[in-house]
Amino acid sequence: MWLSSKLKQIVLALKPGRVTLKYPFEKKPVPERFRGQPVWDHTKCIGCAGCANRCPARTILLRDLCQEIRVLLYDGSRCTYCGRCADLCPEKAITMSPEFELAAGRREDVSQSIELFMLTCNRCGRCFDMEISNAIDKLDLRGYRYDSLEARTVLRRTTDRMAPETLGETEAYRRPERMGG
Amino acid sequence: MAALLAKAAAKAFPKSLWIYHCNSGACNGCDIEILNVLTPYYDVERFGLKLVGSPRHADVMLLSGAVTRPTLPLVKRAYEAMPSPKLVFGIGSCAAGGGCWFDTYNVSGGGAAAVPVDYLIPGCPPRPEAIIYGVALALGLVTQKSAPVELKQVEFPIDAYLRNKAWEERNVIYRLIKD
Amino acid sequence: MRYAVPFVNLVCFLALAPLYEGLLRRLTARVQSRQGPPIIQPYYDLLKLLGKERLDSAGTWPFRLAPLLAFGSVLAVVAVIPFGGRISALAERMNAVLIIYLLTLAGAAVLFGALAGRNTFGLIGAGREMATMIMVEPILAMTLILGAVKIRSLALTAAVPAAFGASFGFSSALMLVVYLLALQAFVARQPFDIAEAEVELLEGPFIEYSGGNLALFKYAMMLKQMFYAWLFVSVFLPFLRTGVYPLDVVIQLAAMSAVFVLIGLVGATNPRMRIDQAVRYYAILIIAALGAVGLGVGGL
Repeated sequence: MWLSSKLKQIVLALKPGRVTLKYPFEKKPVPERFRGQPVWDHTKCIGCAGCANRCPARTILLRDLCQEIRVLLYDGSRCTYCGRCADLCPEKAITMSPEFELAAGRREDVSQSIELFMLTCNRCGRCFDMEISNAIDKLDLRGYRYDSLEARTVLRRTTDRMAPETLGETEAYRRPERMGG
Repeated sequence: MAALLAKAAAKAFPKSLWIYHCNSGACNGCDIEILNVLTPYYDVERFGLKLVGSPRHADVMLLSGAVTRPTLPLVKRAYEAMPSPKLVFGIGSCAAGGGCWFDTYNVSGGGAAAVPVDYLIPGCPPRPEAIIYGVALALGLVTQKSAPVELKQVEFPIDAYLRNKAWEERNVIYRLIKD
Repeated sequence: MRYAVPFVNLVCFLALAPLYEGLLRRLTARVQSRQGPPIIQPYYDLLKLLGKERLDSAGTWPFRLAPLLAFGSVLAVVAVIPFGGRISALAERMNAVLIIYLLTLAGAAVLFGALAGRNTFGLIGAGREMATMIMVEPILAMTLILGAVKIRSLALTAAVPAAFGASFGFSSALMLVVYLLALQAFVARQPFDIAEAEVELLEGPFIEYSGGNLALFKYAMMLKQMFYAWLFVSVFLPFLRTGVYPLDVVIQLAAMSAVFVLIGLVGATNPRMRIDQAVRYYAILIIAALGAVGLGVGGL
């Protein structure tokens, strides 16, 4: 009957005891091949910018600082942990570590940056010029092997690009009140 | 008497945080992980957190989703409806910085476009343990593990003056994460 | 002695109501196989709410008055009840009908607050709270009236133990069953928490409250549920007394914890009923309670 089924329900409910994992104090190991924070091995990276090219969130940026230095910046706040960068890297410099405890107060705390030494040409002594200076290549906003930071300023960001009246309308939008006010 | 009560209230604040879950255009992956956090296995109620349905009752807003254009004023109104002191957690990569869609139409670029985000918990979606880690970080139970990493391949044999000049002129790349 | 009783009442109830609420939450968590919050969690909740900024979102005086009215009327009820079997000095002019009036006033204050908030969800919650109150207050009234009928006096201190004590018969047994079936509705827990704790679905009548006002409402709810547990113990189990006042208090508190365990178990294992199903259920209970009072009048 109803009462006996409720009593049976209570007995069944109390059988497993407490299943709570007391998390910050006891941790369970992650599954193998779990994709956590990507970690760059600075001794292996050659600065090819393949990872930057394929990142879906455009989170990896490379830039020539001067003739021999190239800087790679990984901004972890937008990373989706998809693993494309690790799959693509020809030198296997990127590993997806099992680190997922990444909560931070500021965006800078989840960033990684490497300074890379680029070799110079034997004949002219300069490094390969990555600055895209011809008009045709500038149209490609993703920039094949080089993230053009000036081109990034024309990226479409909605609220930045809206006309002020449209933005004002969006911000001042009020749902219709219920009938009768 | 009032000062004593205020001090007692401030001490009780981290022991009982009430959560309001605001989805500003997410794919619901992060929302499912937030609901996972409230299930018996990862039980976050043992820290005193409780899910409430009204922002007027809440202390913490869990924001998930890249803030889309229609939800931009609504997230702001929900934030204003919360009584201070309040915190905002950005759950997932979308709320932290816009995710893959930070530069698309209709997306305002992450939680920071609408409300001041106090703690961001990256992940796509973040594991429930990662969300609990973020909550424990806010409560002061654990210390922050992530820190900016800066590595160098070699010590560069370049004239120091040239190097400094190049650094000042061309390191716009470092300013990007601060904007 | 009689003058100390109201203070003992107030201190006991105010200090222990959040503890019982914590016990309920811990029990619910235990039935759900998880580790719940610590038992003193509601004390932290109330303290934290007192420290929040109070947003006066409606700006009208009923909005500000309602929590005070609810808290005040429940405190008035607590001060006059014969807790531990001792008559309090304030109970000389009290009768059973005044208790019913004060409890209904507390419910009406919740409605004032909800309607003053001008929020659609609050309106829906208030409508359901109204329907629940209309159907459930008669059952409370008839519990007290059964004792009054048996002892032919409406004085509170006589009527409360009389349902059992004067002559236990079919009427008291029937009333006991009706009270137990309606207990969940009195304390607003599953399966009958459609109005207040539909927190999970909408927000009910408290949706616009924040800070200290919300703390007062929550405290009033906790005191009310402790009162209903006390009512069960003192009306249907008045034989648990030793005559020594502190021991009586302790025995009543222990019996109230057993009632709370029952409330918690039933609450954790039942789904929530819709308002029309609940109203039909209450109607049957009202008829049964009327039958019990009729039997009592008839001398059974």
